[in-house]
Amino acid sequence: MNAHRHSYYEAGARERLHGLLDAGSFRELLGPAERMTSPHLPPLDAPVAFDDGVVVGRGRLAGRSVLAGAQEGGFNGGAVGEVHGAKLTGLLERALDERPAAVLLLVESGGVRLHEANAGLIAVSEVMRAVLAVRSAGIPVLVLDGGQFGCFGGMGIVARCCDAIVISEEGRLGLSGPEVIETTCGVEEFDSRDRALVWRTVGGKHRYLLGEADVLVADDIGAFREAAIRLLDTVPDLSLDALDAEHGRLAARLERFGTCRDALDIWSALGIGQPARLPLLDTDEFLTATADRRA
Amino acid sequence: MNAPLTPPRRWDTQSQNRAARLGRAAAFARGRHVAAADARALLEAVLEPGDRVCLEGNNQKQADFLAKTLVSVDPARVHDLHMVQSVLALPEHIDVFERGIATKLDFSFSGPQGARLAKLVSAGRIDIGAIHTYLELFGRYFTDLTPRVSLIAAQAADAAGNLYTGPNTEDTPVIVEATAFKRGIVIAQVNEVVDTLPRIDIPADWVDFVIPAPTPAYVEPLFTRDPAQISEVQVLMAMMAIQGIYAEYGVQRLNHGIGFDTAAIELLLPTYGESLGLKGKICRHWALNPHPALIPAIEAGWVESVHSFGGELGMEAYTAARPDVFFTGPDGSMRSNRALCQAAGHYACDLFIGSTLQIDLAGNSSTATLGRIAGFGGAPNMGADARGRRHASPAWLKAGEQARAGSSRMPRGQKLVVQMVETFREHMAPAFVEQLDAWELAEQAGMPLPPVMIYGEDVTHILTEEGIANLLLCRTAGEREQAIRGVAGYTAVGLGRDRRAVENLRDRGVIRRPEDLGIDKRLASRDLLAAKSMKDLVRASGGLYDPPKRFRNW
Repeated sequence: MNAHRHSYYEAGARERLHGLLDAGSFRELLGPAERMTSPHLPPLDAPVAFDDGVVVGRGRLAGRSVLAGAQEGGFNGGAVGEVHGAKLTGLLERALDERPAAVLLLVESGGVRLHEANAGLIAVSEVMRAVLAVRSAGIPVLVLDGGQFGCFGGMGIVARCCDAIVISEEGRLGLSGPEVIETTCGVEEFDSRDRALVWRTVGGKHRYLLGEADVLVADDIGAFREAAIRLLDTVPDLSLDALDAEHGRLAARLERFGTCRDALDIWSALGIGQPARLPLLDTDEFLTATADRRA
Repeated sequence: MNAPLTPPRRWDTQSQNRAARLGRAAAFARGRHVAAADARALLEAVLEPGDRVCLEGNNQKQADFLAKTLVSVDPARVHDLHMVQSVLALPEHIDVFERGIATKLDFSFSGPQGARLAKLVSAGRIDIGAIHTYLELFGRYFTDLTPRVSLIAAQAADAAGNLYTGPNTEDTPVIVEATAFKRGIVIAQVNEVVDTLPRIDIPADWVDFVIPAPTPAYVEPLFTRDPAQISEVQVLMAMMAIQGIYAEYGVQRLNHGIGFDTAAIELLLPTYGESLGLKGKICRHWALNPHPALIPAIEAGWVESVHSFGGELGMEAYTAARPDVFFTGPDGSMRSNRALCQAAGHYACDLFIGSTLQIDLAGNSSTATLGRIAGFGGAPNMGADARGRRHASPAWLKAGEQARAGSSRMPRGQKLVVQMVETFREHMAPAFVEQLDAWELAEQAGMPLPPVMIYGEDVTHILTEEGIANLLLCRTAGEREQAIRGVAGYTAVGLGRDRRAVENLRDRGVIRRPEDLGIDKRLASRDLLAAKSMKDLVRASGGLYDPPKRFRNW
């Protein structure tokens, strides 16, 4: 209800970057004037975008130099094509040279752009490889997820390859999207038209409770900015011990919740009182109600 | 004198006929109560061929079980019924004609069934008496279209047969009054039979039979608009409405049509309206269903009263918790009444604002589309100058003065009737046309007149994303046409404007662009909405609003 809040969910990619970084500090690389468009869309008679649906550049966050990329859900749902992926990969590789305080990925994507088939798949895998290269160079890669299309498919994997995810309740994170699950496994497995089910399964609150997202914020560009600033000193840890610990955590999670049919069952199992009310709570109330109860 | 011996005229034939019907029905009833399994037999016993029947079909609440039952009666026994009902909403409302049970129809709105209705009319299966506004049809219930049998819906009945109709009372009182006091038969379906009703909305001695329906009466959440779907163009138009019309005239009493355009206005009052210092100066009294979008304005203290045509699903607890604002019974729950709210909207409101589908060069507006007979509902009662109004208010007087400035006509006020449309509708259909589709529809369906929703002579303002055309200030038909073209944007009608004439009208304040009102278009952002999602509305209501499942993502 705060009129001074600026919705992250409803903003476009450039609006998000301008609101997130220090005022006036963002400089776009390979901007729309360069007309770097997809070579795969015109043969299909599909429209192109002059930025191929992703904005990359450098700026400052709390005075510190960062590189940042933001996907534009308004163009093909942020789907990753060859040029789109190459811009993200280039941004990440630039980090190895420039050594910024962090790389910020403002994800909003349904995954690979199906029109571009293998070129899109390869592009996503190159982004993953670049993320890991940047992290092993000691530079944190931080993900912000709060856009209208969520973060699914290959970008869902990319997001989980990074150091930390900041998510809003409106943000969604997953591998296969709800419609894909329903199509492949049947409506009995997952009813993609049950909006309440979809949101409590892939929505930010559940992803935060499961530990897949690290920070839950309100749908406000300012709140994302504050959270990103607090994560700037994250030290990437790609050691074998860290990987083993993560695998152990995932195995324990499967053990504990593997038989749950619904997020509500998981919330009950986490010992959260009145789990059905969680979706309605605003961010602060939710964090209070679930303090120390995350998986 | 050898006068022929004629028996004295009987004055109670209707009573006798009623007694005969009740006699035939007695076998199926225990007191006033009839089991659902006997409903068909009851209808076959009570109904006579050629009866005028009101099957309660409202905007929202539907006597759906009785509708299904009526469709199932034997057409050899029950036929040639004359249906007199306000809304044709359910497939069964048309099925009764397809099955030959009914042949004649007088109604006011058929939105969801408009296409089937048009087909049956052109096939000669339905004889339409007339298409009415709500108040007209209710008026005819008490003159020449009095129902012989009415099939109505209530929330609950008690053992005696008293009815509780609750928030969704809607048309029930007017139907029952017309039927019961002219010796007709009233049959009610109820969701439940209880020992004690929360309150009595319809007394038992106006009701003949009560049937517990197998499933609760269907209620359509017709007035719920998800704020997430409001566009920035709609925000801009809402800013113009608030600043250029509501503030300009000091509108205190008003009615909003359904739609995202008007939902945007409701959601801008506590933000944009507040920033203009308008709280307490506009929008204090409403003839309006309990729109969820009005919750933030109510909570912010803008709204003193709301009287409603019907209820709205999910708003029951909220309205009950705000009795200073809504009309509620001694039991605490809301009561609506379509006839009285229509009267309030017509006579006691200074402004009506609503959307439409087509506007012609004279400002006539219509929601008729080819191949559909949609009818009117209540908009023409709201969106018409009340010629019988005599009490003054600043808004009404100012509109009347603008219309009469420079002439010697008898001074009087005028209602503000605003049509709010984007220049292009969905699928790039222009909202402005040289000729309304209503003309062709009238020819197709053999109607005596083109079905015009709001006549140009009643429209005072047309508001688009291009600006506001104040038709009160137009002095000739030519000026009026240019004022309309001037806000019609890039439609063919808009491109056909006389540029000099339009600039001249703008200089005179007949056409006002957003910048003429001091509105910076760049500030028209969704961030101005007091609620941007259904969840925001629930939060604004303190958790009292309980939206229907299809509007939830939780």
